[in-house]
Amino acid sequence: MKLAKHVKFRKEKFGGVLFETRSEKVYTLNPTATAVVREIQGGAPEPEIPRRLKERFRDDGGAIEREAAAFIAELRRKGLVED
Amino acid sequence: MTTPAAIGSGDLGAPLYIAWQVTNECNLACLHCIEESGPGKAFPDELSDEEVFRVLEQAMDLEVPYLSFSGGEPMVHPRFFDMVEYVCGRNGELKIETNGHYLGPENCARLKRLGAKAVQVSLDGASRETFNRMRVRGDFDRTVEGIRNLRAAGVPIEINFSPTCFNAHEIGAAVDLAAGLGAYSFYTGRTMYTGNAVKTWHRMAPTDAQYDEFFEVLHRKTEEYRGRMRVHFHEMGLLEELRYRLHHPAALLIVLPNGLVKLINALPFVCGDLRRQTLGEIWARFQRAWQDPRVAKFVEDLAEDPRRTATLHQWVYL
Repeated sequence: MKLAKHVKFRKEKFGGVLFETRSEKVYTLNPTATAVVREIQGGAPEPEIPRRLKERFRDDGGAIEREAAAFIAELRRKGLVED
Repeated sequence: MTTPAAIGSGDLGAPLYIAWQVTNECNLACLHCIEESGPGKAFPDELSDEEVFRVLEQAMDLEVPYLSFSGGEPMVHPRFFDMVEYVCGRNGELKIETNGHYLGPENCARLKRLGAKAVQVSLDGASRETFNRMRVRGDFDRTVEGIRNLRAAGVPIEINFSPTCFNAHEIGAAVDLAAGLGAYSFYTGRTMYTGNAVKTWHRMAPTDAQYDEFFEVLHRKTEEYRGRMRVHFHEMGLLEELRYRLHHPAALLIVLPNGLVKLINALPFVCGDLRRQTLGEIWARFQRAWQDPRVAKFVEDLAEDPRRTATLHQWVYL
């Protein structure tokens, strides 16, 4: 999985932004979403990303893991990532 | 993900979009040109090549993800392809906004090879008669041929349409033509009373009734082409748009050919000069500039006198 061809990511103080340049839509990302995008850019396999974030953020309750999984699904639904 | 409204452009470390008018020179002299471009209309103080590439370097260093080159006609700039190569070579997404008269097969292949994201072509009419009337010195057939060349080269195509009293009735046919030519996006809105349009308004401005029908057709076409071509348009007037922008400035800088940076095209206010300040410094001033009381006053004065847009080229330095 990688960011779709016309999707650009930039890190920001609050997290990051995704800019879909064909539709010129901007998505602002919170720190969890930003971490997901960094993992995608780093080439992490999709199923591993929520688990990696769970470990990195010491997410005992699993909230971040669920948030990351939901975010990946949202990225797919909006066409912001491709295989 | 958070909603776009949750975080404003003031929270961003740099602009997301730079719309750069690379020259005011143009091979055409269109009736409605908001920049008053035309043959021999290059500004006497346009940025030098060295200055242009210094600004591009700053933009890429700031990771500005998206730029557009317009004019005038950007493809008449002697370093046009070098500029395209630089931006695309540094992974920037670049859109070219052109009148389509320099889109021969070789240039289209070059744009494809360099990696231009899209080329937006102005197609103000679905017939030779209306297009050529609007685009003085322009040629409908040459423009359509240029669009076909883009498609053959595999460059994504956007079409832009400016309505007038003599072409508004062709909007449906123009959308169909754009789709037939392979465009992925069609954009239009209300033609603005500024630039050349101030002098030609009496023989060009659509009536309210024409606009009503124009937008009605566009609503239908939006549905007809959903999933195949994006038909989008600004139905709201300039005043509503500017009132919204007062509170929600877009993360967009407008760069003029001489390096001055405007808040937005539809206001006369300048918030920086790329000969004197870096792009980063100007971005830091941008948000404050929107809060200047003169900006809000100008917008509200438009409510009283919409024709104040005639003065957009009398720049006001904030």
